[in-house]
Amino acid sequence: MTATSVTPRSSNGFWAEFLRHPVPVAAAIAVVAIILLAVFAPLIAPQDPYDLASLVLRDARRAPGYIGQGGYIHILGTDSQGRDLFSAILYGLRISLQMGLLAGAIAFTIGALVGSAAAYVGGRFEALVMRLVDLQLSFPAILLAFVVAALLGQGKSQLIVALVFSQYAYFVRTAHGAAAAERNKDYVEAALSVPMSGWFVVTRHILPNALPPLIVVATVQVASAISLEATLSFLGVGLPPTEPSLGMLISTGFQYLLSGRYWISIYPGVALIILILAINIVGDQVRDQLNPRLKK
Amino acid sequence: MTAPLLEVTDLHTHFEARAGTVKSVDGISFHLERGEVLGLVGESGSGKSITGFSLIGLIDRPGRIVQGSIKLEGRELVDLSEGDLRKIRGREISMVFQDPMMTLNPVLTVLDQMTMALRAHERLSDAEARTRCVEALRQVRIVDPEQKVDFYPHQFSGGMRQRVAIAIALLHKPKVVIADEPTTALDVSVQAEILVEVKALVAELGISMIWISHDLATVASISKRIAVMKSGKIVETGPAADVLRAPTHPYTQLLLDALPSRAKPGQLLGAQAGENEAFQANDVKGASEPYPEFVTVKGAVKRFEWKSGFWGRIGERLGIVKPRKAVLAVNDVSLSIARGEALGLVGESGSGKSTLGRMVCGIYRPSEGEIRLAGAPVMLDSQQGRKLTTKVQMIFQDPFASLDPRRTIGQSIAEGPIAHGLTTRADARSYVAKWLEAVSLDPAVADRYPHQFSGGQRQRVAIARALAMRPEVIVCDEPVASLDVSIQAQILNLLLTLRKELGLTLLFISHDLSVVRHLCDRVVVMYRGKIVEEGTTEDIFRTPQDAYTRMLLEAIPRLV
Repeated sequence: MTATSVTPRSSNGFWAEFLRHPVPVAAAIAVVAIILLAVFAPLIAPQDPYDLASLVLRDARRAPGYIGQGGYIHILGTDSQGRDLFSAILYGLRISLQMGLLAGAIAFTIGALVGSAAAYVGGRFEALVMRLVDLQLSFPAILLAFVVAALLGQGKSQLIVALVFSQYAYFVRTAHGAAAAERNKDYVEAALSVPMSGWFVVTRHILPNALPPLIVVATVQVASAISLEATLSFLGVGLPPTEPSLGMLISTGFQYLLSGRYWISIYPGVALIILILAINIVGDQVRDQLNPRLKK
Repeated sequence: MTAPLLEVTDLHTHFEARAGTVKSVDGISFHLERGEVLGLVGESGSGKSITGFSLIGLIDRPGRIVQGSIKLEGRELVDLSEGDLRKIRGREISMVFQDPMMTLNPVLTVLDQMTMALRAHERLSDAEARTRCVEALRQVRIVDPEQKVDFYPHQFSGGMRQRVAIAIALLHKPKVVIADEPTTALDVSVQAEILVEVKALVAELGISMIWISHDLATVASISKRIAVMKSGKIVETGPAADVLRAPTHPYTQLLLDALPSRAKPGQLLGAQAGENEAFQANDVKGASEPYPEFVTVKGAVKRFEWKSGFWGRIGERLGIVKPRKAVLAVNDVSLSIARGEALGLVGESGSGKSTLGRMVCGIYRPSEGEIRLAGAPVMLDSQQGRKLTTKVQMIFQDPFASLDPRRTIGQSIAEGPIAHGLTTRADARSYVAKWLEAVSLDPAVADRYPHQFSGGQRQRVAIARALAMRPEVIVCDEPVASLDVSIQAQILNLLLTLRKELGLTLLFISHDLSVVRHLCDRVVVMYRGKIVEEGTTEDIFRTPQDAYTRMLLEAIPRLV
């Protein structure tokens, strides 16, 4: 009879439900494992791929399983400079995750605040913000990111700006929708009738209640930020060669793909696919659980 | 042969939940004679609706009929297959639900829906179906059934929609009709019409009916025999008149005592009635110096306008789009409330009473006119109209919606007083504890979230939140409308006590006249945004002047 809403705060029910689904659980484990691998890359990787002194050109373009000058097995082979690919992938994951999470977090914050403020204030401000967002969403994200990245030049912070710029609109729109639904609820009116200030009502009442759909969008957007970054790096407008992300590894290996040295390009690609797929599966499950309409 | 039409023996319906088995229906037995209306009364969670669903075989997993038997004309229904049950549903037993807006499909015309119901059990041509549907609508006294049959549900009013639902339930001339709170979502006057209608239909067609309701009065007015349910069991059954006059079970007595219509106005209800003498003794305390025009509403108008956007305006210019009409929710209303007075604001849905309440509380800015508290305006008179005073607070109808689900109740209660300097962040805990005690809640619950409370407890929290702002005026917007009778009595008692102790001025908005009579000194009756009658509670209830007020008073279902 009584409607009990599933919120992340009633965490017992949420995790119990999550653990009942094997595929998302496996994906979650994969995400955690990848994050751990990336964080502890310096400890795990047999070689520091940035340390040019440790690279031996004689080891270049060796197939997986080759034992090089360092005396250890290159389990995923080496690239054109004799870099151990496994190490390069671990370090690449580090940068990719960093970019994705940072850009996602910044876009999330901007989007949540702007979207819920627009829903709360209403009128001209809401109309202006939402039309701007509509306009932006009518261009493909990759196009926007490409243009901004090309204008700003190479570099980590430049790339983050480009990623945030191409992604914040999704958050604004989601936050606006969720906040607009909360805006007319009794508890918001109750707070306004006290009276509480608008800023307080938006940040303490509306935003926390509008959070579930934003969390779902966040998981999807982090995954897409990672793939955007990889795409930009592949196209050469992303990170400088001193910060080899997965996209750049794929790009450098690309020229050897047809000459039979598939591993230079394929293995970073596989790592990227696993990461994005895992994040998306977890995100889908979270969405299913937070959306009461999809409940059976 | 005197075998009853429907015989239920020792029925158990259980729900297997993660936390354990919930025995929603726990061994009930009753019977229904041909042409009889049986009233099934109980509060929320008593299992009365689940009983209805069990009879018609609509118990979904994880629910299950564990044991017992349901015999319709001697035929066992409990172990029938889904297919066999489907043959019975609608044809032999049918159901009318509480909210016709939810049970009618909004994208199909009434004709389509009725035809579907007909074809579930019969084969018939479109023309035949149409005649049958028109006939069925005429039976429930819908005017112009030939045209109305092609309407969509939203084109009907609430009462008409419920008539359609009843017509659908009667299509196959079922042996038993189960009506689950069929008038709860309707206004009193509409409810009165439906009750008259159903009585006539029962007499005319000889339908047998199980009428499920939480409201003793409506049940008493429609059924000869009633059964009272509590936590899955029938605690008392018998002829309606006997049960209501001389209840044998303490629970029935408790339900009856909780009704404001049976108590003397202004007295505590129910079990606390013994304290009444002591209660009346300290009557004088709340009286501070008189202030006859403490709250004044002068010529208040509230128009809800649809601002046309850019394209809308072009459309209007070209004559393609019609400008949307403004809704006049409150139309030139003036009233005043004296300090310490309780003013009842009565009207049916759409009368503008809630809008007026929200204007008094400073949530809506009046389109015209002004609202003052002790001579000072409640809201800043500008486009962005900010509320200026904290002396008016509000208690909302639905305690499930009026508390932020993501804040602890302590946070909810403390946020206003902290923001307005009534307490400091450091003292907030003891401040909150004080007000929780004032509404008889354990101060230790301050760290819990609203979903951990029952409806009555939440309404107490909402009252504590309003009181914590130390208001002089409280606007109560149907504060007991969504609560069970016994809980309603507790909340009314609380309001009565608090009002006396704190000398509060109340604007009490309600559709329930007996509650208003119990609590208020003066009554204002609203109809379509205007005040139609105003006077002391005694005068209004004894000698109503206006035709609408008389109609409202006559529509109240009475016990016995």
